[in-house]
Amino acid sequence: MYVAFSVAVYGMKAQKNEGSLIIKIHPVFNGKALKLTTEPYVNAHQDSLFIDVFKCYLSALKLSPGNGVEFKETKSYHLINADDSISLVFVIKNIPEGNFKTLSFNIGVDSISSVSGALDGDLDPSKGMYWAWNTGYIDAKLMGRSKQCKTRQNSFEYHIGGYSGPNKTLQKVRLDLNIINIEPNKTTHLELKAELAEWFNNPYLLDLSVTNAVLIPGKEALRMAENYADMFQVLKITSPKK
Amino acid sequence: MKHRIWIFLIGIFCLFTWLAFRCIKEEPVKFLIPKGWPKPHYDFSKNKLTAAGFSLGRKLFYDPVLSNDSSISCASCHLQATGFAHVDHDLSHGIEGKIGTRNAPGIVNPAWNKFFMWDGGVNHLEVQALAPITNPIEMNESLNHIVIKLSTQLSYRKAFKRAFGDSIISGQRVLLGISQFLVMLNSSNSKYDKYIRHEKDGKFSVQELNGLKIFRKHCGSCHTEPLFTNNDFANNGLKVDTSLKDYGRYSITHNANDSLKFKVPSLRNIEFTYPYMHDGRFKKLSEVLNHYNSGIKSSKTLANELQKPMQLTAEQKTDLLVFLLTLSDKSFLFDQRFSYPREKS
Ligand code: HEC
Ligand code: HEC
Repeated sequence: MYVAFSVAVYGMKAQKNEGSLIIKIHPVFNGKALKLTTEPYVNAHQDSLFIDVFKCYLSALKLSPGNGVEFKETKSYHLINADDSISLVFVIKNIPEGNFKTLSFNIGVDSISSVSGALDGDLDPSKGMYWAWNTGYIDAKLMGRSKQCKTRQNSFEYHIGGYSGPNKTLQKVRLDLNIINIEPNKTTHLELKAELAEWFNNPYLLDLSVTNAVLIPGKEALRMAENYADMFQVLKITSPKK
Repeated sequence: MKHRIWIFLIGIFCLFTWLAFRCIKEEPVKFLIPKGWPKPHYDFSKNKLTAAGFSLGRKLFYDPVLSNDSSISCASCHLQATGFAHVDHDLSHGIEGKIGTRNAPGIVNPAWNKFFMWDGGVNHLEVQALAPITNPIEMNESLNHIVIKLSTQLSYRKAFKRAFGDSIISGQRVLLGISQFLVMLNSSNSKYDKYIRHEKDGKFSVQELNGLKIFRKHCGSCHTEPLFTNNDFANNGLKVDTSLKDYGRYSITHNANDSLKFKVPSLRNIEFTYPYMHDGRFKKLSEVLNHYNSGIKSSKTLANELQKPMQLTAEQKTDLLVFLLTLSDKSFLFDQRFSYPREKS
């Protein structure tokens, strides 16, 4: 009874004035679609490298009109994983109709979640994005190999995170959408690229022979986070067909 | 007419069975705050205690399935009879007998703790279990793989269903289950507690009374009653072990002021949780008292209250020791609810 009632209410609401947005992430390296493990890339320091793992959290998604009420996604945590195409596409539902100008979100997980114990969904600690010995979420991971790394199997590993004091790695992203249309009962598509070359440059040029393991919160993690803060860029917006 | 009665009876029967099952699922496990104690730090509203949740946690705590080669359970290092400490091992060992770098402390009244581990690296009880599970020299397993292993076992699917309403097993639910067991590991029935509550068998001897007085003067600022910890970190003057080079809290905060500070442990059931300190360097309580009395090593971060020698007489040390023994709680150490779960579930 109650269920039927809430479904009805929900249905009515959705019918009235809400639409959805599908966001698709395209991981790229120097603009080319990312191929894990097998494809060599060259970073700003001219080191040749392979990428094996790319994962990161996008959280607190928000759409803002120029003026007027902004839309905030509730329970907004999305773990994207280059090796799992399903994770690269997600839907944001129940957005009030209207024109929005900017999309903002965070790369990483807020500090409150990092001190809230065992959480569910994409925040479930079994997703492997959680530090056990110094508890808290890993905001982003990039792992791969390069001849420049004098490490076991020439590997480099970046596990970036840190939620407290001066070690906060959470990065705020604001993307200009020009104008994006959300129409009732329709779906708008937004495609973003995640440019992994950004991890290695701007503002800090990375030398893989020097920086090949960043696995704890601290100065190095902060620098990497500053580097990748602008890896997301808008590729394409597709408004619903009239 | 006859049909109707039958339908009615079957209906009643179903209702009762349903109610019975509901009761089994939702029967509350009581978490009692002993009189005069502060509120626990753990937020029970997000993980409501139930009999089913507690028994799932108990099953997990005692099950070596949590380790990579199914050789080690939580209880391998945390034994009930010794206050859930790893007795006789200065440094705990785990999978394939590999030796860890720290002594396993007892687990007592964890719902009141803000931080876990000697360096406080774990900020919440629910994620505590991840540390031993993923440590390569402890259980060397991943939470994700545990979820996969448990999902193949009917008894676990049933236990998760009883605890959470459906049989989905997730990392979060494994951790919430273990936490339901851990938060119940409460000790508040030692002779000391009975003394405080003015109970019959809580009469303190002159020695014990004198010990308590000395304790309050020299130890109480850190090992604060009634939990016997102030939930803080301190440098209590131990010499650095040059082979372990463990700087405690510093390794988490990288703040020089935290160098050589370790979590103040509770002293409840201290009689049984030997060896003592983060590296288990002292085998006997008398060695601990000698340390505080005349072995304090001075360093930049040494606690203020330990700067001046205590100058306790042999008699005073004995009294203090006798008092520490009043913190033993047999009803906790032998509580059937916390022992290896023998019943089939
Ligand atoms: C190989 C031995 C070992 C195993 C197995 C083990 N532990 Fe521990 N446990 C330790 C050690 C050692 C410490 C202290 C570690 C530190 O401070 O760095 C500890 C600390 C703890 C603490 C923190 C106590 C405090 O007051 O800070 C809790 C709670 C705990 N363990 C629960 C568990 C649970 C639950 C499991 C099973 C999932 C488990 N342990 C498995 C050795 C072990
Ligand atoms: C300044 C704070 C402070 C004071 C005062 C203090 N302690 Fe401690 N105590 C600690 C800390 C911190 C530890 C853990 C140190 C470590 O393992 O590195 C500890 C550990 C212990 C342990 C070992 C517990 C275990 O489980 O291994 C015992 C026993 C103990 N203290 C007893 C006492 C007694 C008795 C006194 C008074 C004579 C006292 N302490 C005074 C901070 C203090």
